[in-house]
Amino acid sequence: MNFLTRIRSSIGWDKGVGALLVLTIVIGSLVTPDFATTSNLGFVVQDIGEIMIIALPMTFLIIAGEIDLSVASALSLVSSSIGYSFAHGVPFGWALVIGILVGLATGALNGFLVNYLGLQSLAVTIGTMGLFRGLCFVLLGSNPVNQLPDFWTGLGINNIPGTFLPWSFLLIAPLVIIALILLHFTRIGRWTFAAGISSEAANFAGIPVKRFKFFMYVATGFMVSLAAIVYTLRFASASPDSAMGYELTTIAAVLFGGVSIAGGFGTMWGVIFSVIELGAIRSVLQLVNFSSNALQIVSGSLLLFSVAVPKVAEMLKARRETRVKTPTPSLTSSRSVE
Amino acid sequence: MRNLLRIRELPIAVVLVAFFSIAALGNHQLFSFSGLHDLLFGSSIICLLVSAETLIIVMKHIDLSIGSTIGFASYIIGKNASNGHGLLYCLLLGIIFGLAVGAVNGLLVAYFKLPSLVVTLGTLYLVRGLFNQVAGGDFINSDKVPHVLSFMASHTFAKIPYLFIVAFVLALIVGFYMRNFRSGRDLYAIGSNLPAAYLAGIKVEKRTFWAFTAAGGIAGLGGALLIARFGQAQANSGLGIELGVVAACVVGGVAIAGGIGTVFGAIIGALLLQTIVLALGALGVSQFWQGVVNGALLIAAISLDKVLSSRSQRTQIMRVSE
Amino acid sequence: MEKVLEIRGAAKRFGGVQALVDANLTLYPREIHALLGENGAGKSTLLKTLAGVHKLDAGSITLFGKEFIANGTRGSLEQGIAVIYQEPNLFPDLTLAENVFIGRQLTHGKTVAWKEMAEQSAALFKRLGVPLDPSRRARGLSIADQQIVEIAKALSLSAKVIVMDEPTAALSANETERLFGVARSLREEGAALVFVSHRLDEVMALCDRVTIMRDGATVATAPIAEVDTDKIVKWMVGRELSDLFPKMKANIGETILKVENISREGQFEDISFEVKAGEIVGIAGLVGSGRSEVIRAIFGIDNYEKGSVTFLGKKMKKNRPNQAMQDGIALVPEDRRQQGLFMPVSITRNTSITLLKGVSKFGLLRKASETGITAEWSKKMQLKFNSLEDSVDRLSGGNQQKVVLAKWLSTKPKLLIIDEPTRGIDVGTKSEVHRFLSQEATKGLGILMISSELPEVLGMSDRVLVMREGRLVAHFNADQANPENVIAAASGASK
Repeated sequence: MNFLTRIRSSIGWDKGVGALLVLTIVIGSLVTPDFATTSNLGFVVQDIGEIMIIALPMTFLIIAGEIDLSVASALSLVSSSIGYSFAHGVPFGWALVIGILVGLATGALNGFLVNYLGLQSLAVTIGTMGLFRGLCFVLLGSNPVNQLPDFWTGLGINNIPGTFLPWSFLLIAPLVIIALILLHFTRIGRWTFAAGISSEAANFAGIPVKRFKFFMYVATGFMVSLAAIVYTLRFASASPDSAMGYELTTIAAVLFGGVSIAGGFGTMWGVIFSVIELGAIRSVLQLVNFSSNALQIVSGSLLLFSVAVPKVAEMLKARRETRVKTPTPSLTSSRSVE
Repeated sequence: MRNLLRIRELPIAVVLVAFFSIAALGNHQLFSFSGLHDLLFGSSIICLLVSAETLIIVMKHIDLSIGSTIGFASYIIGKNASNGHGLLYCLLLGIIFGLAVGAVNGLLVAYFKLPSLVVTLGTLYLVRGLFNQVAGGDFINSDKVPHVLSFMASHTFAKIPYLFIVAFVLALIVGFYMRNFRSGRDLYAIGSNLPAAYLAGIKVEKRTFWAFTAAGGIAGLGGALLIARFGQAQANSGLGIELGVVAACVVGGVAIAGGIGTVFGAIIGALLLQTIVLALGALGVSQFWQGVVNGALLIAAISLDKVLSSRSQRTQIMRVSE
Repeated sequence: MEKVLEIRGAAKRFGGVQALVDANLTLYPREIHALLGENGAGKSTLLKTLAGVHKLDAGSITLFGKEFIANGTRGSLEQGIAVIYQEPNLFPDLTLAENVFIGRQLTHGKTVAWKEMAEQSAALFKRLGVPLDPSRRARGLSIADQQIVEIAKALSLSAKVIVMDEPTAALSANETERLFGVARSLREEGAALVFVSHRLDEVMALCDRVTIMRDGATVATAPIAEVDTDKIVKWMVGRELSDLFPKMKANIGETILKVENISREGQFEDISFEVKAGEIVGIAGLVGSGRSEVIRAIFGIDNYEKGSVTFLGKKMKKNRPNQAMQDGIALVPEDRRQQGLFMPVSITRNTSITLLKGVSKFGLLRKASETGITAEWSKKMQLKFNSLEDSVDRLSGGNQQKVVLAKWLSTKPKLLIIDEPTRGIDVGTKSEVHRFLSQEATKGLGILMISSELPEVLGMSDRVLVMREGRLVAHFNADQANPENVIAAASGASK
């Protein structure tokens, strides 16, 4: 596994994804004139906004050796809480605050179960995924809340006046920059990598691993609630079946960005490129009138591709090395004689 | 010794009986043949799929793709039946499709050594995407469902729904295989201690590959039950069912950490989950609580498992007496 | 007499390391043969070759006159060689019976014959004089009992050569005696046993002949009756031991660490002691006597239920390694690869992980200052490396230990807790580490040192504490401590 992760970093997987992104943009522009337009760029930003926001903490989690499959359900729960509060007479601004608190609570629950009860994050978050989704339906039944205030939904749908960028860009861009700096230029980032390489060694290096990972989950909950707000405003609706499958898209994007599923390795650049690449491909496919289902197929393929390619490279290399090194031992020759 | 091995399933079975009885006391309809029928009928799909998932979880892997596989298989079966093909032909197609998806999973996990979570997440996506692509807004409705299947869905044998019988017979076969065949025992060894399994000369790759393939095949067969149970197939058939299946396995004592658990236990887990759903319904609680209960029980089960096992984990240094 | 096994001129190379150069070993039936050598002498490579894990580059292995074919552990077992590792690799979720027969379960036709398997394993356990319950699961079995299961497995395959790699390292005195009893009875039954150990007294008590390896080659083979421990050590080390422990005189200052009556259920009880500035306090005791658990609790890795730890006059919070580090405690753990280092990561990143606050400005890490400190400490520790950006898994054991030391000493601690300071490192680096520790003590660093090597404890410590079964059982000043009374206290033998 070490070797696997090492090729990822040595060949610069993240740069590869960046190059692929450039290639996609070039091809996209050639295939359809609608692609390289400012309005389409704005559309892509809006399209990948929530995924980008969730992918940032997910990158931290996966590098730290954990995972969170409950993010999409948590997003939906935050959205449902907002809708529920609003429908029950809470002013929308306060409903958003409630939503953020709910988001923090979802993260705290996951963080508690994983770190203080010591449960496997995969199993826990499969459980909370069902739990949160179930709560959405408990809150809203099967009826979405649609009559949201125009001022707020306008923020979700319109562009910043005089630009081609949606309002959500003002939220996403700083978050991306903060995540980038945190992961690669601060103690928090080093702790994240350390926890993912060996949580035992991290503990012995005086890193408060449990508390650290707990707060990582809480932060994930916070980011999820921001994504939920963007999502709710964009669709001008709070619905219990929001963001179905987003957890998979997010994880696929993070892994395609070169983050090792085993933890300990990866870059934020790779993930950022990867999410944008996802948006670009989706945009091209839509513009050339591919069905929207194609995105699922693309995500699935990218996911498999991003784990399979380094593995194949490793196998090839291992084979080459054994071929060079093994000087036919006498054992095998005598065996064939027998 | 047989009893000893089964002891793990005992507490959950007790919980099931106790819960069912308590719920039935509150609602007499539940504690009747129709209540039992609802329980068995409602849980038949999950009961079938736990046979597949237990094979996988026992090896310390996971298969999230079965929901997509069973859904697409049900559509394949329904579509071909509505095009006038015979049931056996349709069934065969469904199973072959499932085997193919399982083989892809198995190939990537066993021979490429990729993490099963990622692989099956990927195939979950791919299969669902392909399914949507192929099916689009197509809807196979109940009059196109093969007659034998709709008969099985609406009839019982000795008051037990046929669908449950199919699931149960399959569980017996898989359970017997896992307990009494060397290759079945290998699955436990692989999940219990992988490096030791290699050292013991167990054919880890081969077993892993075939277990995933078999799990896919079971999900393919499950397509027939799914279309029979709901009388229809469309692009969202089977969506999200993997969660309930994993929950049933874990609640039924199949440890997510591998090496422990039986199909028998997983079935009890599935029945318990279904009992709770029915009880909630009978007690007038909205069916929307079902997901909450599944999730909460899953978490409770792994927490309990952890608490029970961690007690024995601290290295004992102090001795009472030498 | 007919030879059971003969290894001649075995050579094996891993990348740049020649693990075996010219290893030779001959076994006869009915003998217990000791295989000795320092860490890195090539013993484990030779064992893994016999276990079928490695194939030799050159040389031959003959088993009962036939060529031995390296074909995995299973293959070795089928040819009659069983290798039992220090910590056996059982299947925790399977029954003992199934563990004995794993991969070749007895069957009726196609299905597993549970009853026969249980009966046969029960018979094997009985033959070994250890009546384990074949239907219990392996989880929670003591290491001593796990070894018995492995031996039963070997017997069930009628292995003629049984190799035991440091089997007694984690056993109590009673368990060791029991194992020796089993070994002797196997010898009576005609088997040939290879016994690897670092405890020379055990070797002298148990074995019939001894083979000593150094630097990948066999340097001597002799009947036990014709050698003594001095001679064996000389062969193993190839040099005199006199300059191994360069203890310098340090000025002992104020008490810095005060441990009062701490207990952790099932692991240690009522432990009290002090460490002063400039003092080296050694903790002796058998592996598994609770020494590491005590220092883990002091540093805050584990919790403790009773008692208190005071450091520099301040009561320490439980379970706060981060706080302990900031207060000036450093812990060099026993398992370098798992606990001490981030193996796939660079020397710089390993060294700076404890210093991140110090090398940051406005919360941002400064590369230059990080590299500067690492370079400075690498020089101080005389670290041998190509580039500071190389990952530490490319370094030798000794150099890895220096990185761990650098990572901790650079935090300028007042107390250094060090668990097995020289385990698995070569003799040269060993004395460098000792000199370094001694030197730091003269500068006022208090050192709490756990060591299983008696000469190390006795040579380095100002005071020696001895633990047995979770209790502090003896306390000697340097001038009172000698091998006899320390061993007596550690093993519970009456004085």
